[in-house]
Amino acid sequence: MSNRDAIVVENLTFQYPDTETPVLKNIHFTLKEGEVLGIIGRTGSGKTTLAMCLNRLVPTVIQGNLEGTISVFGQDISQRSVADMADKVGFVFQEPENQLSQMTVEEEIAFGMGNLGISREEMKYRIQETLKQVGLEGFEKRSPLALSGGQQQRLAIASVMAMRPSIMIMDEPTSMLDPRGKNEVYDVLRKIKTYGMTGVIIDHEVERMASYCDKILVLDDGEVIMFGTPKEVFSELTLLHEMEMNAPQVTELADRLRKELQIDVGSPITVEEAVKAFQIVSIK
Amino acid sequence: MNSLYIARESMIHRLDPRTKILFVLFIVISSFLFKDPAMQLILLIGMFPLVLLSKLVKQYLMSMQFLMLFVVLIMTIHGIYNPIGETPVFEIFGGLTFKYESLVYASVMSFRILVIGTAAVIFVMTTHPSDLAIALMKWKVPHSIAFMFLSTFQIIPIIAREAKIVMEAQQARCLDVKANIFERVKHLVPLFAPLFIITFVKVHQLSYVLECRAFSRNGVKTSLRETKISSLDYMFISGMLVLLLTELYLSFAQQISLTTSNLLVSSLFAVWAVFFIVIVKFVYKKVSVFIGG
Ligand SMILES: Nc1ncnc2c1ncn2[C@@H]1O[C@H](COP(=O)(O)OP(=O)(O)OP(=O)(O)O)[C@@H](O)[C@H]1O
Ligand SMILES: [Mg+2]
Repeated sequence: MSNRDAIVVENLTFQYPDTETPVLKNIHFTLKEGEVLGIIGRTGSGKTTLAMCLNRLVPTVIQGNLEGTISVFGQDISQRSVADMADKVGFVFQEPENQLSQMTVEEEIAFGMGNLGISREEMKYRIQETLKQVGLEGFEKRSPLALSGGQQQRLAIASVMAMRPSIMIMDEPTSMLDPRGKNEVYDVLRKIKTYGMTGVIIDHEVERMASYCDKILVLDDGEVIMFGTPKEVFSELTLLHEMEMNAPQVTELADRLRKELQIDVGSPITVEEAVKAFQIVSIK
Repeated sequence: MNSLYIARESMIHRLDPRTKILFVLFIVISSFLFKDPAMQLILLIGMFPLVLLSKLVKQYLMSMQFLMLFVVLIMTIHGIYNPIGETPVFEIFGGLTFKYESLVYASVMSFRILVIGTAAVIFVMTTHPSDLAIALMKWKVPHSIAFMFLSTFQIIPIIAREAKIVMEAQQARCLDVKANIFERVKHLVPLFAPLFIITFVKVHQLSYVLECRAFSRNGVKTSLRETKISSLDYMFISGMLVLLLTELYLSFAQQISLTTSNLLVSSLFAVWAVFFIVIVKFVYKKVSVFIGG
């Protein structure tokens, strides 16, 4: 993993025209290349707004007053447009269906590449490649509307991936899906990391985030409450509970065990970690 | 499925979108060139082979049904009441007479609707939206205007789909959208507000998505689909040119008039007959649903 800074956010404050107070307040954080950042926070805390700041949807398309600086790979993005950034920063939205505008799966994937002026040969190659990456081979000629929710969302991801962005932002990509669809999408997300992409993901599934993300950012009422590794963030249970959030179930369990049964297994954040911790305790 | 385009393997589908735009223009000009109903009729019939060639006869007829309503109204009401009429040609009961001049006026207008409607339907159903956008850009039409064209085509099916969802939702809340016709019209009102809002939101969201896919980026754009002008296009365009010149000659130099009162009355009957068939089919469908379920 390199040490380049992929995203640097400094003093970011943002206010929508029709709100009294800023929805993002003085935000700071740095994400290294190849890392995956998870943003959590209760509804209305400003997660989507923050994510949209990173690819300039806010404030160029969705207007408002933005202060502070955001740099992507060392470059200040304050003069860039969304379309301009599209080959650097990809964005996947929440609703699968609303993201699809073309008549067939392959045209859907080709659309973004076409706007970048990529040659037809390269397009065909990348279509095959991304379809394989998201597990939709053989669906080239299908209508995007004739896919299941999970497949649609994977198609949306493929369409963004085909543009080969270095950073991939996903705003609750699985919240509209059933458990099976969620698994399908998470399987794809797991791969993104191995392609060396930098990721930003917003989700409520803390269990998955704990095992998947390198950094977690906790947002509440537009402020960064915590920023650190999943381990650091999810061990602050009291703080999380104050904001009506939970740590992964295993972490919660470990905490209850310590408090109620005086069994100390530390603060595991994944099931694997918990099993290890229990082994050590039971040997003793 | 996101648009009115229907994929087929046909000659008309293969034509460059620009040729088809020229075709629509040609038809519009032609239909305004002629003040003679007989010529309009020839134009209409002359286009039918194209419909056949495009292998979309059924879809074409379906979309024409709707225009028939206008045509019947125009023919009947104008034919009887339009004050320019003097010479009676055909009397129905109660002393209501269709007059020659009024019928000419009415049939020119109705056939014009059908002629332009046919050209438009052929165009929309055989032209792939992204081909259209690319073709327009080759004409140096700004990208955003090309997209406006495109999205207008695309938005209609979106609205239709949402209408269905809203209707189902309203039904689930006990709104009887399948009641008799007056009740149904009344019940359309609560349909429109959510429909409008949903469509607006969807289109709005789609615009964000498109931006994230570099939609308004400057520079060269490419497409997965190949469009190029072929010899077929040249043939088609030369054909149109020849026809246009002939039409110009006929309508200015010759002042031909093929229209007879027989033709007018037969067209009137034909329109009535077609409309009657449409109505019968509609009623039959309703009744069979009623009996069946
Ligand atoms: N276009 C807008 N105009 C004005 N206010 C907005 C706009 N979009 C969002 N807001 C407000 O900004 C705040 C943050 O919204 P945001 O969508 O970023 O929250 P979120 O954390 O993504 O919430 P959720 O988890 O529900 O998606 C909310 O209070 C919301 O009402
Ligand atoms: Mg959100």
